[in-house]
Amino acid sequence: MTEISKLAELRKLTHSMERTLGLEELSPVERDIYYAAEDLSQDESEVRTFGLIEHTLVRNVSRPTFFRALKSLVHKGYLSQSGSANRGRYVVHGPR
Amino acid sequence: MRAWVSETVYASAAYVLASLLTFQIVMPLQNMYFPEYASRASLLFLPHGVRVLSAWLLGWRAIFALLPGVFIVFAILAGSDVLLPSRIAAMLFAVTTAPAVFYLCKILGWDLFPAPGKRACWTCVMGVGLVSSLLVSGLTNLAFGSATAEYIAYLIGDLSGLFFLMLGLHFGFMFFEKRRA
Repeated sequence: MTEISKLAELRKLTHSMERTLGLEELSPVERDIYYAAEDLSQDESEVRTFGLIEHTLVRNVSRPTFFRALKSLVHKGYLSQSGSANRGRYVVHGPR
Repeated sequence: MRAWVSETVYASAAYVLASLLTFQIVMPLQNMYFPEYASRASLLFLPHGVRVLSAWLLGWRAIFALLPGVFIVFAILAGSDVLLPSRIAAMLFAVTTAPAVFYLCKILGWDLFPAPGKRACWTCVMGVGLVSSLLVSGLTNLAFGSATAEYIAYLIGDLSGLFFLMLGLHFGFMFFEKRRA
C-alpha cells in the first residue's frame, strides 16, 4: 500500500465516522435534496430525478445547482445511482 | 525497504507526538481540573489511538513500525529502568496486542483491514480498540501489579484517546481539504 493509499484509507475511516456522527458538511441545497430523497424513498425503494426536482423542498433550486448538488451527494455516498438500466434513479443511504 | 522506513518514521513519530501531547498537555490539565482524581492514568490516552490505527493500517508491520517510538517514550518516562523485564514486557504488549486482535478477528471471518473498494468501519475499529485496551491494560497491570481501579481508568483513557485521535484526523483532513479547495 502506498503512502497516498494509506492516507486514503484513513480518510475513508474518518469519513465513516463523520457520517455516523453527522459531522459531514452538506450545503443547504444538498441537505434539501437529501431530505427530499428520504421523503420520496419512503414510498418507493428508488427515487427518480424528476420526482426530486418536483419536490417542494427543491422546487426553487436552479437546474445547474440541483445537478451539482446531486452529483456531490452521490460522491459523498448519501445517494447512489440505481443498479437498474434506467438512468436517473437513485437509492438513498442513511447516515452510517 | 523504503516503505518500511517511512512507515516506521511516521508511526513512531506519531506515537511519540501523541505521548508528548498526553503527558505534557492532557495530564497537567487533568491534574489541574480534577485534582481529586489521584490515578496516574490519563483519561485521554492518545497513544492507544496511534497503536490501533497503525495496526489497522499496517497489520503486523505495525509492531516494528511502532517499536522505536514506544521505546523512546518508555525511555523518557522510565529512564534507565527502561530495560527492566516488566518494562520490556509492557512495551511488547503495547505493540503486539492491537495487531493480534485484528488478526484474530480476521481468523474468525471478520476482516477489518482496509482494502481498495472496501468500506471502512470506524465503530469496528473502536471495538478492536476496546478489546485491545482490555488486553493491554490487563497484561500491563499484571506486569506492574496495579490496582483494579486503574484498569477502568486505562480503559476510559484508551477509548477516548482512540476516539479523539480519529476526530482530530477528521478535522485535520477537513482543514487541508478546505485549504486545497
